[in-house]
Amino acid sequence: MRGEPTVAAQRADVARIARLATRCRLVLLEMIHRAGSGHAGSSLSCADIVSVLKFDQLDPGPDRSTGDVFVLSKGHAAPAWYAALIVGGDLPAEEVGTLRALDSRLQGHPDRTRLGLVDVSTGALGQGLSVAVGRALARRLHGRNSTVYCLLGDGECQEGQVWEAFLYAGAHRVPGLVAIIDHNGSQSDGAVADILPLCPLPEKLRAFGWHVAEVDGHDHGEVRDALRRRDRDGPSVIIAHTRKGHLGPDRVLLNGSHSDLPSAAEYAAAVDYLETLLEAHE
Amino acid sequence: MTSTRDWFGTALVEIAREYDHIVVVNCDLAKATRTLPFKEEFPDRFFECGIAEANAIGVAAGLAQEGFRPFVASFGHFLTGKFLEIFQTVGLNDAGVVLVGTHAGLAIGRDGPTQMGLRDLALMRTLPNVGVFQPADGTETWQMMAHLATDRRPAYLRLCRQPLPEVHTDGYHFRPGIPHVLRAGADVVVFAMGGTVPVAVEAADRLAAHGALAHGAPANGSVAGGPVAGGLAAGGVSAAGVAAGGPAARGIAPTVVNVSSLPVDRETVERIVAGHQRVLVVEDHYAVGGLADELGRIVLGLPDRPRFDVLAVPDYGQAGPPEDLYRRYRLDAEGIAAHVTALLQDAPR
Repeated sequence: MRGEPTVAAQRADVARIARLATRCRLVLLEMIHRAGSGHAGSSLSCADIVSVLKFDQLDPGPDRSTGDVFVLSKGHAAPAWYAALIVGGDLPAEEVGTLRALDSRLQGHPDRTRLGLVDVSTGALGQGLSVAVGRALARRLHGRNSTVYCLLGDGECQEGQVWEAFLYAGAHRVPGLVAIIDHNGSQSDGAVADILPLCPLPEKLRAFGWHVAEVDGHDHGEVRDALRRRDRDGPSVIIAHTRKGHLGPDRVLLNGSHSDLPSAAEYAAAVDYLETLLEAHE
Repeated sequence: MTSTRDWFGTALVEIAREYDHIVVVNCDLAKATRTLPFKEEFPDRFFECGIAEANAIGVAAGLAQEGFRPFVASFGHFLTGKFLEIFQTVGLNDAGVVLVGTHAGLAIGRDGPTQMGLRDLALMRTLPNVGVFQPADGTETWQMMAHLATDRRPAYLRLCRQPLPEVHTDGYHFRPGIPHVLRAGADVVVFAMGGTVPVAVEAADRLAAHGALAHGAPANGSVAGGPVAGGLAAGGVSAAGVAAGGPAARGIAPTVVNVSSLPVDRETVERIVAGHQRVLVVEDHYAVGGLADELGRIVLGLPDRPRFDVLAVPDYGQAGPPEDLYRRYRLDAEGIAAHVTALLQDAPR
């Protein structure tokens, strides 16, 4: 069990996650660049959240049936998860070139029937939270204390099923369930605020019976602390404010585009930037 | 006479006593889908999702992934309407959910086509790992439930609202994908599923007994003016045939087959069809995408291709008393018998 770490230890831990997140960004960009296909902006916006989950929060347990569960409901950000698996040593680095290739385990959207390190197959938006609810209910019935995490996009929250799941989990106070909304403010056709605004999002979620926290989704310490302070007896949601295409504090890829691909020059510049960032971390 | 949804409700409680991994996910239709007795006996294993089928399907998939065997029940029309959700969270996840779709076909009657499960088979058949199950009576419902309780694969269980007679004997043994011959006859094979099975049997028995249509049974009037009337008048059960005492006097004896689960075993279908020159598929479903498409893919590929015909619902359906609807769409015993008779007038292929 994690005790109360010292301030220095906490700082070192956050720095470790930050390094790993930068490495994840390098890997996911390489994947997408080599595939010539994939959602770079969406993967980059949640790379810090995924890194906090993968390298700090997710307890794999002695076996998959008892450990924590991660549902990537915004399945188009699959490269962020694959990159975390490669950086974490769960997947061989050679697979970095197989994203979206025929017969690959690294499908364009996560497919658990092809890759066991995917807990739930997703892709069409709006469905992951319901499955997360079911898994949390099952764990309660089994008497297990593990946590089910579900990462959603903000545009995804326009899907009605998401609110069916919010309604159910709030009404039944489903424990062991944490939703994280990657609130990058951008979706396929433009800004969420222009297409169909979600605001006031925290008020809506509170009204649905959820414990709500808001964080800077690129601040590893804030994300981690919010996850640690989740409601133990009911569902919690963390609204993580992010930027689509976030490479680092002073750099965004492709002006935050949802699905544009970086050119060779843009890719090279991004790699340079991230490697410099990595050196600064060391 | 008991509906398969009633048999399902009874069997569900019984198997849940034996298997504690059986759970139910409900969408505000526990009374109609007969999961209420389960709720009363196993409240901790009953998850009420309200009128929110998409979420219910996802919750069921999550429960299945954690080792439970969830039965998520609603009207088949509503449940399979959430096709994208079923495709992904059940199909692509290979989640062992049993989707229970009640009120199959026209039998819901006066509520009309917004409640009728008439295109559910077409949707579920597209999913390569989802088996379709539709029992024809109580014997078969119990055996299917025993199978579904221990099996771990995704499934669609299609159930009827209307009370049905037993068509199987105690010695019947359900095997997934294997159609069962209920009446062994000649010339024409009638394939049916679920609620149409006893109707097809009744039609066959009438024809086999004494050519009921040609003997002026009162019910004949309802079909006499229809498009197949000419076929009936010139039918193989003509008065001359009866008088002569030849084979036609015994009437037509079609083979009747219950296809209660899909995908269907190709070799069994080929064996059943062998020796018949005509095949008729009768289904309480749209003519597109259901049992006829399943069987057509097999039958029409046979070297001695038999004549293939379908009796199904060609439009959206409409409201009305069930008996009127089944008469209108010729899915009652008279309609089926008339169609068989007419089919026999046409030269085999």
